Amino acid sequence: MKPTNDRRDFLKAMALGSAAVAGAAAGVLAAPGREAGVIGVPAARAQDRYKMAFIQWQPHTVPAAWSKGIEEVLKPQQVIDYELLDGQNKVEVQVSLMDTLVSQGASVIFLQPIDSVALAPSIAKAKRSGVSVITLNIDATEPHAAHVEMNHYYGAMDIAKAMGDAMGGKGKVAILNAPPGIIIRDQRTNGFVEGMKAHHPGIEIVADQVADWDRKKAQDVLNTILAAHPDLGGAYGVNDSMALGAVDVAKEKGLLGKFVVFGNDGETAALESIEAGELTGTQYTDVYQQGRLAAAAATVLATGAVNASAFGQQSRLLMPYLIATKDNVGTIQASQRW
Amino acid sequence: MKIRFSSAALLLFFAVTLAFFSVSAPRFATASTVENLMSGYAFVAILAMGQAWPILVRGIDLSIGAIVGLVGMIVFDLSLIFSVPGYVILPLALLAGALAGALNGVLIVYLHLQPFIATLATLAAYRGLTYSISGRQLVPGLTTTPIRDPWITGIETYFDLGGSIGLSRLINMPWFPLSFFIMLAVFALLQVLLLATRFGRDTCATGGNAEAARLAGIRVGAVTIAAYAISGICAAIAALIMVARFTTATEALGSGAELTAIAAAVIGGVSLAGGVGSMFGPAIGAFLLGAILIGLTLQGVPQFVQQIITGVILLAAVGYDRLLVLRRQRKLETAATGAGR
Repeated sequence: MKPTNDRRDFLKAMALGSAAVAGAAAGVLAAPGREAGVIGVPAARAQDRYKMAFIQWQPHTVPAAWSKGIEEVLKPQQVIDYELLDGQNKVEVQVSLMDTLVSQGASVIFLQPIDSVALAPSIAKAKRSGVSVITLNIDATEPHAAHVEMNHYYGAMDIAKAMGDAMGGKGKVAILNAPPGIIIRDQRTNGFVEGMKAHHPGIEIVADQVADWDRKKAQDVLNTILAAHPDLGGAYGVNDSMALGAVDVAKEKGLLGKFVVFGNDGETAALESIEAGELTGTQYTDVYQQGRLAAAAATVLATGAVNASAFGQQSRLLMPYLIATKDNVGTIQASQRW
Repeated sequence: MKIRFSSAALLLFFAVTLAFFSVSAPRFATASTVENLMSGYAFVAILAMGQAWPILVRGIDLSIGAIVGLVGMIVFDLSLIFSVPGYVILPLALLAGALAGALNGVLIVYLHLQPFIATLATLAAYRGLTYSISGRQLVPGLTTTPIRDPWITGIETYFDLGGSIGLSRLINMPWFPLSFFIMLAVFALLQVLLLATRFGRDTCATGGNAEAARLAGIRVGAVTIAAYAISGICAAIAALIMVARFTTATEALGSGAELTAIAAAVIGGVSLAGGVGSMFGPAIGAFLLGAILIGLTLQGVPQFVQQIITGVILLAAVGYDRLLVLRRQRKLETAATGAGR
């Protein structure tokens, strides 16, 4: 993964995103006529209404916020029926929903794949039927229309840097991790580990334990780690829920202020915790915006205002992010909080 | 007679459900929906038919989802780490499923554990084992490597039967997935095993009254272990179908599948009181659940409502089963008092 390529893809996707928004403003998208068929969209697609759906992994603040962002863009166009479907944390459910949407004649499917490989055959099938697939956060091995992702790896490197700075460049930290088998877990972990190596070689990662993305579980796990390493100086939660669990423990043990805790995602609860002086920091991504960009791309793909081939190879958009700490958390507007 | 009646009632309910969605759900009565139903629920039907056996011996197998995960990961490791050819992997996968199932039976028979507890324990153990042998974590890069062995991916093949017999000229026919024919083969085998062999009769006798079966000279322990082994083999077949469909295995593969399988079996008229059931019922039960979920999704009914509806159907099925059991008991009691007079 070369950063220059990422940047080019980022610009391309931004340009397409703006094109869609501009198109919507010009009223192009509000009245897709029969002639849509002549600019490369299959005739069956030249219809009055378009169907789009988002298949999430399982209910969580992040997909809920994406869905809200997606709806914000799709709803005003009045020709797109949109629904949120739940993958129930099961590959087979996601695959079955993909099949159903394809046979339903959906124009675009937004997908947060549970697994990069397992959903690839479904994506291939969707493509054969002329359905565009846009993945969110977790890429698939089958190339598809577009992929919009939080910047997991580089964000985690920056978290490591900020965390090391807060700890004065020395001490012991623990990682509260997600269950294995998920790409973003690896990106968020590897980025953190590499970041520590690069910026703060004096900091030792003494524990890396699974806390199931869960606040309560993180409390238990961190208590166990603290028993083994009473001199632990900080904890990194691979998501905010686990980081907030670490904050709970620090509060309980009277370590607040001395114990450094970083999270990842940037949900409202985490930002408020930072403002209250409890959580040290987190990687914040405007997840609404992530959903809006995906929806903008979906609109141009569905209505044929831009031909799908304009995307060439699968386009890939890495979301900009902010390492939110007490100093800058105030710059995140209320409307950007999710 | 009771079994035949409930099978007919189930089939009728299935037909009514299909008719209802054909009229009310947009694009339900299409070839692609039928294809999705066959490819998406054939493995559920196989799991349900397997689950019927432990229930027939008055037990339950909560571990089948975990066995699916374990067998899936064994297939994954053998294929991607050890490059074992598919024709060797297939029998090994079935063997692994049989052993995992038989272990459940051994725990129940020799350690006298409640089936619920024994299979709850193995559920956790098999899932843990799946994580610990996961090639996705042992070997970097395998998370994004699909399985390409034609013996395994070949399970996900579709046949244009309509085209080959010329029916497609008249109506739009679905393509039939191989997994559907595997399901039919499993159905035929298990149905014969249940109805036409001594083992099948022994299974029903064991579930009906284990003590009486023992006194009649039936090797109750062996029958019980075999019933759980069948459940394990069915889980392995389901795992192969899923791995072929997804071209990979995840650590969480099959989690929660036990609940769907139990629901399908019970809806299919397999009595939780043991000893009564068929293979036909669980298979139809699985496709019924599938048709309902697909139909409701096409109607745009939110998924949590779908889950409520599934729950209500399950409750109705369990209630109906309970009613039949009570009626059977009453009949036995009247017969007994009549004989005593």
